Amino acid sequence: MSSHPQKSTGFILGFSLVFMVLIAVPFFMDLFYQTFLTEVLVWVLFAVSFDLIFGYTGLLSFGQALFFGLGAYSIAIPVSKFGLGLGPAFLLAIIIPMLFAWLVGYFSVKLSGIHFVIITLIFALIGSTIGETWTSLTGGADGLTIPFTPLQIGPLKIDFTNIKTNYYLVLVVASLCFLLLKRMVQSPLGKVFIAIRENEDRARLIGYNVQRYKLLAFVIAGGLSGVAGGLYGITLKYASANSLHWGVSGHAVVYTIVGGMGTLFGPVLGTGIIMSLEHYLLNYMQGTDLVIGMVLVFMVLVAPKGLVGLLQRKGK
Amino acid sequence: MTLREVSKSFGGLLAVNNANLSVKKGELRALIGPNGAGKTTLLNLITGIYPVSQGQIHFKSREITRLSPDRISHQGISRTMQITSLFSGLTVFENIWVAVQSRKKFFNPFIRAIKWQEVRAKTNQMLELTGLQDKAELICSELAYGEQRILEMGIALSTDPDLLLLDEPTAGLNTQESIALVKKMRAMLSGQTIILVEHDMGVVMELADRISVLHYGEILAEGSPEEIRNNEEVKKVYLGY
Amino acid sequence: MISNLAVAVLNGVIWGMIMALIALGLNMIFGLLHIINMAHGVLYMLGAVAAWYFIDLTGNFWIALILAPVVVGVIGMAIERGLLRTIEDQPITTIICTFGIMLAVQHLVFMTFGGTPRRINIPIEGRFQLFELQYPLMRVVIAAISIGVMIALWFLLNKTKYGLWMRAVVQDREMAVAIGIPVNRVYMWTFVLGSALAAFSGVLAAPIVYVDFMMGREILIMAFIIVIVGGMGNLEGSVLAAIIISLIQGVGSLFVPPAMATVFSLAFMIIVLLFRPQGLFGE
Repeated sequence: MSSHPQKSTGFILGFSLVFMVLIAVPFFMDLFYQTFLTEVLVWVLFAVSFDLIFGYTGLLSFGQALFFGLGAYSIAIPVSKFGLGLGPAFLLAIIIPMLFAWLVGYFSVKLSGIHFVIITLIFALIGSTIGETWTSLTGGADGLTIPFTPLQIGPLKIDFTNIKTNYYLVLVVASLCFLLLKRMVQSPLGKVFIAIRENEDRARLIGYNVQRYKLLAFVIAGGLSGVAGGLYGITLKYASANSLHWGVSGHAVVYTIVGGMGTLFGPVLGTGIIMSLEHYLLNYMQGTDLVIGMVLVFMVLVAPKGLVGLLQRKGK
Repeated sequence: MTLREVSKSFGGLLAVNNANLSVKKGELRALIGPNGAGKTTLLNLITGIYPVSQGQIHFKSREITRLSPDRISHQGISRTMQITSLFSGLTVFENIWVAVQSRKKFFNPFIRAIKWQEVRAKTNQMLELTGLQDKAELICSELAYGEQRILEMGIALSTDPDLLLLDEPTAGLNTQESIALVKKMRAMLSGQTIILVEHDMGVVMELADRISVLHYGEILAEGSPEEIRNNEEVKKVYLGY
Repeated sequence: MISNLAVAVLNGVIWGMIMALIALGLNMIFGLLHIINMAHGVLYMLGAVAAWYFIDLTGNFWIALILAPVVVGVIGMAIERGLLRTIEDQPITTIICTFGIMLAVQHLVFMTFGGTPRRINIPIEGRFQLFELQYPLMRVVIAAISIGVMIALWFLLNKTKYGLWMRAVVQDREMAVAIGIPVNRVYMWTFVLGSALAAFSGVLAAPIVYVDFMMGREILIMAFIIVIVGGMGNLEGSVLAAIIISLIQGVGSLFVPPAMATVFSLAFMIIVLLFRPQGLFGE
């Protein structure tokens, strides 16, 4: 933040450009790439929500997968078992993860540092254990399929088995969430989060109720993770207990670190690049963790501020 | 500010023993004593960083003994730390901003912070008070040590405190720098009540209205600078003083 | 009924010994280097995998028991020296770095060793009578070996120069540097020792649970939990916590479906973390 308001023309321009390109994609890319991009956008949203709590507030949580998975199941279970419409189900995908995030966060923010990491990990583990064994509810690792159900907005019926429609839904939702987050991190509230990240004790001494704001960041991130999970379920047409596993949280960690934490743009870049890399590698290997792991180690040692940091350095 | 029979023990160690202290509004009270006497612990007790083992702390006729540090800040108490504690990755401007902003009740997540006129104006005002306005865009870890100490004070003052606790502000500065800092301090302060923990006797004698001497966690003596200077007990404790 | 209980208790205690070794390694690495080693699980797995290769090569379990920890110790040395040295003072960064190491190594083993779990056989036959059931002697031997390793560790820490150095560095790093202790070397050997302990644990666990490239993943979490509950830096606490937690899980599974037992013990961990973050036995 500088002491004079800067025109955000750079950002508006850049974002509009990317958005235009993304809107145009279905017109010049085949269905496979549309689906791929849809998934990338879902993970971008997940990574960006992780950046809020980690990059901006300084909380390393390996438990975000819990809210992601809950988001997917908040759609899968009501729709397949109770025949709920997609619209209300999507609202549940926001509310239910947020409620759980409030519950988990309430206890977790009482701790700091490594204890926080561990307790969020344990909550995620509880979630995945329950998810994997309560098969009557969740379908376990095999998961639940989400049956075809259109989104009813008044007289309008939107069908998501159509890949293009699905893509546009995810694009719109993800973009909206990104813009909201961008505004939030630049806002007075965002300044509180950043202060907590930089020096938690000092922030407390100058009068901020640190626990309350950590919880707020955690709940917001949880809600956004839930949205990402819901979109994931809609896109894949199914939800599985595998989404609850803490390894999924690990994805967000990789994307954010590689891209550049604390920048919002970093996770976007990181997700896009890593997922494309993984897609390419899968032609030659079974699984990608070897390369991803090495990339992560490399970035952490050589470029801790991620790709965005490298670009910024080059710019200077 | 009144401390009544305040004690603090850490396990077996009695860091503060039955301290009674009363500071009048507008007074500058210096707290001196050898290392380990419990001065910083006392400050930590007042600001709520450590819970009191025994006793009560009152401020502006309100009991603040069990309040959390953030609530105590809102009572009007501010503090600087012995080891500089800033928001290291943020700019000077942002450091002050965050402190100024803390007085507000609601943080709007939908507007850009810089557009908050009130906070921006006050931040610029405080920046000028510290004299660091030319360095506003620098990351505060790039500042010289002496400037960081000034910024620390700026942050503490930006919360509009009635009581300011200064923990060894001249720590790590040589004589010249200390004199410059004291001059700067004088310019920045405007009648707040102050409790000053200091080792530099020159600074203490120059600034203090009254002095309390702490030794092994107990208040050994209290009085005007003259009285303390002539106090036999104090002289014994401070060998070679 | 009582036979089942006895078996569960014995299983729990024995598994607790094995977990204690892992936890001790993790605790030492954390206590001294302040590193949260997320790669600790793969070190355990590497121990088991290395043992499998040595047995395949030589047909002898005991050789494998000695050599596998050595090999993993060397790997640990490479990790500490090559990768972690520069970031050792940044706790969050080391978590992420070791996480990356975990991902890479796990996958590497998958690619070379394969995805199917394999058996290791310990050359101890025989069972003994435990109430109405027969209990395999092998497991008791495994427990005995674990205890042996723990005793050796105790000796190392309390009766040797190196142990003294390690304890000094934990107490006060600056002081240790000031009196001339080669702190960097102590760091390295501690990491090596921690890795070797994890590997030992893997070799001892292998006859019981099979060797599989994923075996480290869930063990890692358990190890962290044991270290936290026992108290970080408190080695005796880790041993006690390991046994208690394994016992609870083992006996609990008799009365309650295993998933529930897991959930309950996890919930118990949360309570410990919230009310006694220094661990049940920590200061």
